[in-house]
Amino acid sequence: MLDADTLSILTESAKYDVSCSSSGSKRANGKGGLGNASVGGICHSFTPDGRCISLLKILMSNECVYDCAYCPNRLSSNVKRASITPDEICNLTINFYKRNYIEGLFLSSAVSGSPNRTMELLTETAIKLRKQYNFNGYIHIKGIPHADEALALKAARYADRMSYNIELPSERSLKLLAPQKTKDSLVSPMKRLRAAILCDRENAARRGALLPAGQTTQMIIGASPESDGQILRLTEYLYRHMGLKRVYYSSYIPVVRSPLLPSVPAGLLREHRLYQADWLIRFYGFDVNELCGEGENLDTDLDPKCAWALKNMHLFPVEINSAPPEMLLRVPGIGAKGAYKITEARRFCRLDFDNLSKMHIVLKRAKHFITCKGKFYGAEGNAARAALLIAGRSDSGECNQQLSLFSDRENAVSALTGEL
Amino acid sequence: MKIFLTDGTTTGFYTAVFDSYRENGAVITSRKNMQLAFDTEIVNVAADAEKATRVRNKLDKLDRYAAGDVDLALRSDDSLKEQTSFEYIKLIVKSGRAVRRQLSVPAVIEMSEIIGRVTGELHKMKGFLRFMETESGALYAPYAPDNDITDLIAPHFKARFGQQRFAVHDVKRKKAALCDGKTWFMAEVGDADIYISEYEKIFEDLWRKYYVSVNIGERPHEKQMKGYMPVRYWKFLPEKNGFYDDKT
Ligand code: SF4
Repeated sequence: MLDADTLSILTESAKYDVSCSSSGSKRANGKGGLGNASVGGICHSFTPDGRCISLLKILMSNECVYDCAYCPNRLSSNVKRASITPDEICNLTINFYKRNYIEGLFLSSAVSGSPNRTMELLTETAIKLRKQYNFNGYIHIKGIPHADEALALKAARYADRMSYNIELPSERSLKLLAPQKTKDSLVSPMKRLRAAILCDRENAARRGALLPAGQTTQMIIGASPESDGQILRLTEYLYRHMGLKRVYYSSYIPVVRSPLLPSVPAGLLREHRLYQADWLIRFYGFDVNELCGEGENLDTDLDPKCAWALKNMHLFPVEINSAPPEMLLRVPGIGAKGAYKITEARRFCRLDFDNLSKMHIVLKRAKHFITCKGKFYGAEGNAARAALLIAGRSDSGECNQQLSLFSDRENAVSALTGEL
Repeated sequence: MKIFLTDGTTTGFYTAVFDSYRENGAVITSRKNMQLAFDTEIVNVAADAEKATRVRNKLDKLDRYAAGDVDLALRSDDSLKEQTSFEYIKLIVKSGRAVRRQLSVPAVIEMSEIIGRVTGELHKMKGFLRFMETESGALYAPYAPDNDITDLIAPHFKARFGQQRFAVHDVKRKKAALCDGKTWFMAEVGDADIYISEYEKIFEDLWRKYYVSVNIGERPHEKQMKGYMPVRYWKFLPEKNGFYDDKT
């Protein structure tokens, strides 16, 4: 049986992989099997840093032949090394799953030996879990760059989700900080998997069997000089052209000392703003050009929707009783749930300001951008801007490092997803 | 003012709706320790299946999902659950049809909030419930939810566990969902005599170790953790206490 030290070594470094979500798949249990996947995803615990634990995130090995500057497990680093076998992982996964500690497994690995050998071991583990251990819970497999694409396609038949991490937001930074990984070694397998998924979805008999929860990726923010505008353009490309389900941003923490890297952490506020912008692009029909110019960064004082609205005051205020749903979504402070409540309620009666507050629509920001039955309750122009800045400041508190940013309920939901 | 005091059952509630319908300003509750004003009169409601069925039938005709809403609301620990459900039913009868989408009407807002807290806890517990393996290989999960949700959560675990035997035990309400690997049913269970497997401690310790090692220590944010995972649930989470330690 796996000992506690090995477990610590192999999970310590997997923790910086932020994609913990277990959502997007609805795998059913089979006869004599254990487990299924829940579409909405389930959080099983929360750590003192406020993050959700949903999956057992573990490395197969942390012995690496690559030498990425930012990584504590790089070849030239002097850390304790450990590896475990596919059976040990299966056993641990099954036992954690039975006790309802986790939704499933997130299996990754350093490049141990060769990329192909590493990918083979990951694939073997997924196959064992499904076939030998009859496990139907969630499996996320990390793709190993430079491994044979046939291996990736094989793993995709057994996993719910796969991810190749872009790592850094530009090819230049990748060359500098992760010299053995090339853009092509990350993007080309993503494309192959994308094509395979599309083909699989069209095949009526097999529909959805291949990576039902799709692909995701992750990049480190603040270790390299790219602007938010560049990052969000890459993000938009990944969603619209690569069909990714999620792009994760991991705010840089200096775990490793290197002349190539900043010595201070990037701060969570920037990461948070990127998630907010990401949300607007995915769900609210925003185009990246509306949010942030190519070389620009997002406003730190205002959330991206507020910042956009203040630049577009000619579109406001909108009348709550008649504005189309897509316009309601663009009102600062009104999210998908709020817009839904409003469009439902107004079918039955015309809504006034009092109705909205009873419906728990948060009006702190929204009131500057709406009218109710023709009446306006907010401030105009610069006064609105000032009021929003003050509202924003009370949210971000000392901001950057210590996030009282997520202290109220409204912001707490947003903290996990960037929902606005 | 008249207060209709029920026995806390669904039948009792519908009976009270029947009995109080023509009274002006009647209140329905199952709470025994209420502060009473001088002019209140308490009516003890004897649950009556026939009266309850008549109310149900009428309600089903107007909105066939309303009884489902009431069922969820009555599982709540909210002291106003009966009254809120009563107001909701009165509104349906008055309107002559379903009202759940009228999201600006106070009776609908209150009802959907009570229901939201019940289904919200149901979802959370799908994550926070913790099973222990017994000597005989069954899985046992004790917990103390705010709302009465055990028979709602059981199907979720039945689907996951397949032929595995398991029990979900609400120690506060002294009831449990028991599954023999084929079907599951509800039973009254007070104190359970459980013999935990000798391996249990190994996995609990590994889990605790995992919990500690995935935390990013540089970014403490306890307040958010407690917001998502309220302290009252910790008693049953091995990663948050040594609760099971003293048993083994
Ligand atoms: S490939 Fe790079 S990032 Fe991955 S484990 Fe090795 S050194 Fe670290």
